Amino acid sequence: MNEPKFQCIGRPLPRVDALDKVLGRAVYAGDISFPHMLYGKILRAGVPHAVIEEIDISAAEAMEGVACVLTARDIPGINRYGIAFPDQKVLAEDKVISIADPVAAVAAESPELARDAVKAIRVKYRALPVVTNPHEALAEGAPALHPEGNLFQYVKIRKGDVAEGFQQADIILEDTFQTQVQDHTYLETESGIARMDKQGNLILQTVSQGPFRDRAQVAAVCGLPQNRVRVIRATVGGAFGGKDDVSVQVHVALLAQATGRPVRLVFTREESLTTQTKRHAIEIWSRWGVTKDGKLCAMEGKVYGDTGAYAGLGPFVVKKCGIYLCGPYYIPAVKVDIYTTYTNNIIKSAYRGFGVLQASVVHEAMMDELALKCGIHPLKFRIMNALDVGLDTGTGQVMKEDCGIKATLKKMREVVMNDPTLKTHCEGLR
Amino acid sequence: MAKDQDKTILKMTVNGEPVEVAVNPAWTLLRVIREELGLTGTKEGCGIGDCGACTVLLEGKTVNSCLVLALQAEGKEVRTVEGLGTEENLDPLQESFIEYGAVQCGFCTPGMLISARALLDKNPHPTTEEIKVAISGNLCRCTGYVKIIQAIEIVAQEG
Repeated sequence: MNEPKFQCIGRPLPRVDALDKVLGRAVYAGDISFPHMLYGKILRAGVPHAVIEEIDISAAEAMEGVACVLTARDIPGINRYGIAFPDQKVLAEDKVISIADPVAAVAAESPELARDAVKAIRVKYRALPVVTNPHEALAEGAPALHPEGNLFQYVKIRKGDVAEGFQQADIILEDTFQTQVQDHTYLETESGIARMDKQGNLILQTVSQGPFRDRAQVAAVCGLPQNRVRVIRATVGGAFGGKDDVSVQVHVALLAQATGRPVRLVFTREESLTTQTKRHAIEIWSRWGVTKDGKLCAMEGKVYGDTGAYAGLGPFVVKKCGIYLCGPYYIPAVKVDIYTTYTNNIIKSAYRGFGVLQASVVHEAMMDELALKCGIHPLKFRIMNALDVGLDTGTGQVMKEDCGIKATLKKMREVVMNDPTLKTHCEGLR
Repeated sequence: MAKDQDKTILKMTVNGEPVEVAVNPAWTLLRVIREELGLTGTKEGCGIGDCGACTVLLEGKTVNSCLVLALQAEGKEVRTVEGLGTEENLDPLQESFIEYGAVQCGFCTPGMLISARALLDKNPHPTTEEIKVAISGNLCRCTGYVKIIQAIEIVAQEG
């Protein structure tokens, strides 16, 4: 092998943090402690949609060792945050719209005390009708979960004449697909530790995929200028998109600000699973047309994304699902309608793949079915329809350079055909 | 709140050093290791014995320290990731994990190393299957396990 030309490129290098990690000395947010530190805990609604009639924090406040119990009226800044759209309440006011909604935040001398104090808070709810999927959200008379209504975003994609495209088709297939919610399940749950320094600056060490975005949200909630808030990203124990949105940050900051003491807030696994962002469940209806010699001629789709009670990065994720519904294939006529709706489910946001995975469930299933109907080998069928230089995507982007899909598929064909154990898979592949 | 008079003195050996620490009888070994002894290399990923991030050696055997009461370690020997090797003198597994890319986010790494060490102490030349069984209680979300298994295999072959 040739000696690599560069210092780093082409050379296997150890991760910069690998040594600290194998020695157990890499510092994650939950590993940090300070003298005189308090432990935070959040009371969650536990009901998906309800009016709050009463919050009684007196018993929790009276407990020995409880430093503070915060509700919405204790927030010095704005009671709103959100990674792209500030539609999340830091602490609930008159209403909750998801089981995960924070209602009160507690800081206490021990984690056990903080947990017990949260249990001692009494909240009286009056249940409201629950919206559990996009169709219910869009139905006439559905309860509006946000002032702007339940349809957060509608996007339409139009390319060519779909009616004409389907007329040319010899085979037309349609189906409805439903993907499920997924949790990122990073090994490290959401954690952070906040403290005020002697100059009154707020220092926050936390899990994060964007410390500056976190800072903007924390500063607004705490009523501080951004230059008085310092967010330091600790070593992060996995994120996969799930630590893009604010998790512990605003609450742990508020608790430190209110008590003047360092506060650590670490979510339990159960809390992480039941309250933090997830992958979007998306319902996709799609119809595909192909000529009998195997040429795709039209595709139509309707994408219904459930972003839960709050937008998160949902509108981008769901939009992307619709944009990528053609997959890496050339289809001359495309019509896709994309709906991102609020529901009373848990918030959905970024997750590896960002909506493209949900689309691939559809286009790959369709490509297999269509190939079968045409009597063409599914790999050959994909090569025949793959995007190439000069062709355009579902949104009309012309490939000026090779996007690599055809070469990849051809390489796969070569590997399959050269492997004697895969002989039975090669019939009709050439 | 746990008052001082509710606490019991726990004596054990941690990474070769005798320690004495006042513990609440309800505390787990994990909590004492992390919060009282400050050995934060051992992680909590789930708190219910599913993920293995809190794996330590108790008398040479792997345990989920989140499921062991601290007082169960009375008079016993505990080994955590901090007792595996030092920067100057790494355990061969630590070296191999670095070299073969078995470390990504690092949160499962301490528990994974402890389980691997326990295996090699008992069985210096395990098969791939035996390695898989030995780390089956340790979840990793980043690597897909391939490189972790490879890193352990390399040490097993050389060891």
